[in-house]
Amino acid sequence: MSPPDVEEITIPDTVEELLGEHETRPDVPWVVIVWNDPVNTFAYVIFVFQKLFGYSRAKASRLTNQVHYEGKAVVASGSREKCEADVARLHAHGLWATMQKDD
Amino acid sequence: MARRTFQRRRDGTLRVTLYTQEVDLLLLTARDMIGIVEHPPEGDVRDRLYPRAYLDPTEESAQAEFDALVHDDLVRSRREAFETIASGLEAARPAASGRVELTLSPNEETQWLTAVNDARLVIGAALGVTEDTDTEYAPDDPRFEYGVLYSWLTALHIELVTLLLDEIGESGTDDDGTDGEHRRPPGS
Repeated sequence: MSPPDVEEITIPDTVEELLGEHETRPDVPWVVIVWNDPVNTFAYVIFVFQKLFGYSRAKASRLTNQVHYEGKAVVASGSREKCEADVARLHAHGLWATMQKDD
Repeated sequence: MARRTFQRRRDGTLRVTLYTQEVDLLLLTARDMIGIVEHPPEGDVRDRLYPRAYLDPTEESAQAEFDALVHDDLVRSRREAFETIASGLEAARPAASGRVELTLSPNEETQWLTAVNDARLVIGAALGVTEDTDTEYAPDDPRFEYGVLYSWLTALHIELVTLLLDEIGESGTDDDGTDGEHRRPPGS
């Protein structure tokens, strides 16, 4: 296989890829916050944290309690692109998620 | 009375068993929701279905970029999820028990999980449900029917989530989700 002499054009097929392509901002740490809402059940929020982030039941439960009793919790962190992808996945599961710079 | 709406089959698919009245109710709901997720009323329903990613008003351009990348896909996947529910229920026929049975692939199962919850988000936002709200309204209250529907969808969703929580188990990472790679528990 010889290296291609023209730049190959690839179509990104994931949000992460697409977001990564034109990213020029400095890579400051960001956090993903999930806010309390009156509709999502405890059990569902725990399940979503386990499914999306691979958290243990104990950690997912701790975070869900924090969301409920303190109104919000930081559930993930990382680069802007990674956090945007996490927020998109949380929105797709019906959770109220936002992101901001880590202070 | 104990009843099981959702049962895992040996081949990994999910068996759903519903009474015909439940099929009618869910079918009406799914058909309604197809239009609502595509054109949600401004205000609480829209904000709840499609929240902002950035609260910071100085991030407007990032928010616009996020919307451009994510919003249309989210609308499409929500519409497709309700279409999956509707077409599955339309095709299903009552079993010998008189109840209606259908079998969901893993992808359809996720669509049911998120769509039933999306319907709860819409109805909950429209009813103005709060932490302390009881959705059992008086029969002469205009919210009565949607209150009953909301409660029933909640019970249905909890039944599915209970099964999925049992299957996903207790184990997983206790680290913060700071890696690019998310470790997923087996079977998810």
